[in-house]
Amino acid sequence: MGTTFKIILLFSTMFLISCEGLFDYSPYQIDFEGENKGVNATNLDRLLKANQSDTITIAFTGDTHNYFDELGYFVDKVNTFPNIDFVIHVGDFADFGLPKQYLWGNGYLLNLEVPYLVLIGNHDLVGNGLEAYKEMFGDFDFSFVYQDIKFVFLNTNSLEFAYNGNVPNLDWLSQQLFPSDDFSKAVVVFHMPPGIGFDPELELGFYQTLSAHNNVIMAVHGHQHHHEVYYPTADSIPFVNVYGVEHRMMTIVKIYQDKIYVENEAF
Amino acid sequence: MRHFSHWFLLLCILIFINNTQAQSRVGRYDWLLPDYVKLQYAGGIGFLSAGVGYTFVHQRIDATFFYGYVPNGIAIDDLSSLSLQFTAKLIRIRLSENYQLLPLNFGWFIHHTFGSDYWIKLPSHYPPEYYWWSPGRNAGIFIGGELKTKWLARKTPASGIAIYARIGTRGLYLASKVGNSSIPITDIIELGFGIALYR
Repeated sequence: MGTTFKIILLFSTMFLISCEGLFDYSPYQIDFEGENKGVNATNLDRLLKANQSDTITIAFTGDTHNYFDELGYFVDKVNTFPNIDFVIHVGDFADFGLPKQYLWGNGYLLNLEVPYLVLIGNHDLVGNGLEAYKEMFGDFDFSFVYQDIKFVFLNTNSLEFAYNGNVPNLDWLSQQLFPSDDFSKAVVVFHMPPGIGFDPELELGFYQTLSAHNNVIMAVHGHQHHHEVYYPTADSIPFVNVYGVEHRMMTIVKIYQDKIYVENEAF
Repeated sequence: MRHFSHWFLLLCILIFINNTQAQSRVGRYDWLLPDYVKLQYAGGIGFLSAGVGYTFVHQRIDATFFYGYVPNGIAIDDLSSLSLQFTAKLIRIRLSENYQLLPLNFGWFIHHTFGSDYWIKLPSHYPPEYYWWSPGRNAGIFIGGELKTKWLARKTPASGIAIYARIGTRGLYLASKVGNSSIPITDIIELGFGIALYR
């Protein structure tokens, strides 16, 4: 038994040392560390410290689902543009809401040279995706002011919260858009537009809240994977629908003197 | 747990077949005793998992129930799960009187994570087929090897101890990997090892 035992012990030890990292405990294990924690806060910090010019240029992507390679191509292309201020991913970052998919997705975005912010999508909430998002990115609803423009990120994935009447949080949105000295205009970003999955009881209130102070210059969303600019409200707030990453097209929005200019780039 | 009922039924049938093959055993209810117990590290079904199971068809097929646990600290929330796995042991090499090597074991498992987040049936507030998968029930496959020994055989009622390792993946990981060459294969692998105590 002696020799055999030693051989087994030797091989087991080698096996354990060489395979560290392959041991998986559960598809729902969340143990994010370092650059995979508090990502939105870190990037906001970077963004607000950066030199600001009179034009804001934002590259949008979204709806990664299972197109991780394409997300990588998006990152490579954005890195070739000299004047992007920041990147926004409009949600559906993790197709099955798996912590591993969150890690993959962020692995690509970490290669971006500019700051990036990730919004919560409906797929991101499946399983324990809600905790994974909070751990990796932070709050669902958040806002910041960049160059006099207030960017409001809103969780509109009502169906994932069983249409509980609090998603989207219109009271919070209303407070954010209430005019104040620190911003002149606002941009509202969300994953899911009114339609299936968006609380039908809150749809009218949502449009009314957006229009209340006549200061929203653009609403941006994903979920539908195709691109268009449309005007669902009577007072003509442009809604910009962002390409799903699988189309290998990105939507770039320039904001100059409170006006928006939308263009698309292939990657 | 309702979903386990058909697995239990299948297991009962297999145990019955097994019983009819094992007439030589003494004791009226001995056949109810599991043929082995296992303790497994990792393998995607828990940080540590405790299993009991039965062997069928001349010890070529194993059916094992595992209760797996991931403690809080290793993950932000503790996780409990139950899995059922079937293993086919295709090759058996007798190394010596005391050692047997089973180098090619194929397995299939189904893994249930407990908790309301991990639904099996799409909750009623969703439109039909809104999501095609179930976070609460994942299936996967693995291959593995086992070394069966007669360690402790003379000192305990156990007939032997085995150590085993397995390398696998699950459907949801495979679905993520398809079409994404930039995702390393090592990222979708679930490696685990364990020890089995045979009756």
